[in-house]
Amino acid sequence: MLDPVSGKLNQYLTLVSQRQQLVASNIANSDTPGYLTKDIDFDSELQNAASGAQSMVEEVQGLTMKNDGNNVDLDREARLLAENALRFNVASGLLRSQLKRLRMAIEGGNSGS
Amino acid sequence: MSLFSSLSVSASGMSAERSRAEILVENIANADTTRTAEGGPYRRRDVVFESQSVSSPFSAFLSPEFGAQAQGVGISQVAVDNSDPDRRYLPGHPDADKDGYVAFPRVNPAEDMVDLLGASRSYQANVSAISAVKDMIQRSIDLFKS
Repeated sequence: MLDPVSGKLNQYLTLVSQRQQLVASNIANSDTPGYLTKDIDFDSELQNAASGAQSMVEEVQGLTMKNDGNNVDLDREARLLAENALRFNVASGLLRSQLKRLRMAIEGGNSGS
Repeated sequence: MSLFSSLSVSASGMSAERSRAEILVENIANADTTRTAEGGPYRRRDVVFESQSVSSPFSAFLSPEFGAQAQGVGISQVAVDNSDPDRRYLPGHPDADKDGYVAFPRVNPAEDMVDLLGASRSYQANVSAISAVKDMIQRSIDLFKS
């Protein structure tokens, strides 16, 4: 990557999109008998991402199990869906301004438009 | 690219919920059907969902390790309710037996309507997931623009 900040942002965006994929999977399986909610431990995975380790997917504890053995809580997934979209927006905005600054440096600071 | 496989996961959810709604509507429509191709009254049917992998060869190549973790949903079977039909006394009915009873399907429209609402809500949840992911992909594309 271009510089340490962009590298970190890249890892962050990757992690957010992996988490979003799990949320999409949980929502799609909200009526599947025996399906258990999956998630990643975001904070610790973010620490590990620097070392290039693959994210660990784990089953979420403490959710109410329904009679068919499914424990997907749609409210929890809706919250995570919105949260991930916002996190992604922030990080991609930061990355965008980083790229803009780089372009400005390349063009000698006179790229007004 | 995991964002694109999220789209396939949500799409599989939408397609499964749509099939579930189709079966439920069929049950409601046939609540009073006394003749079928197999003979006898209509039998209530129900879908059984199952987690299925949705990874396309393309996404599996790009992120082989993580792609297998996120699963979509599919229909493993359509279960037929084989319980005894509901017998109603209608001597004038062409399908009545010698005692004047007609076999009607054991379909409770209220039950199917409630299930249909559930299917519709789950479909909406998948649509929201798709639009959130689509927005994220759009943000990524916007990085190319200055």
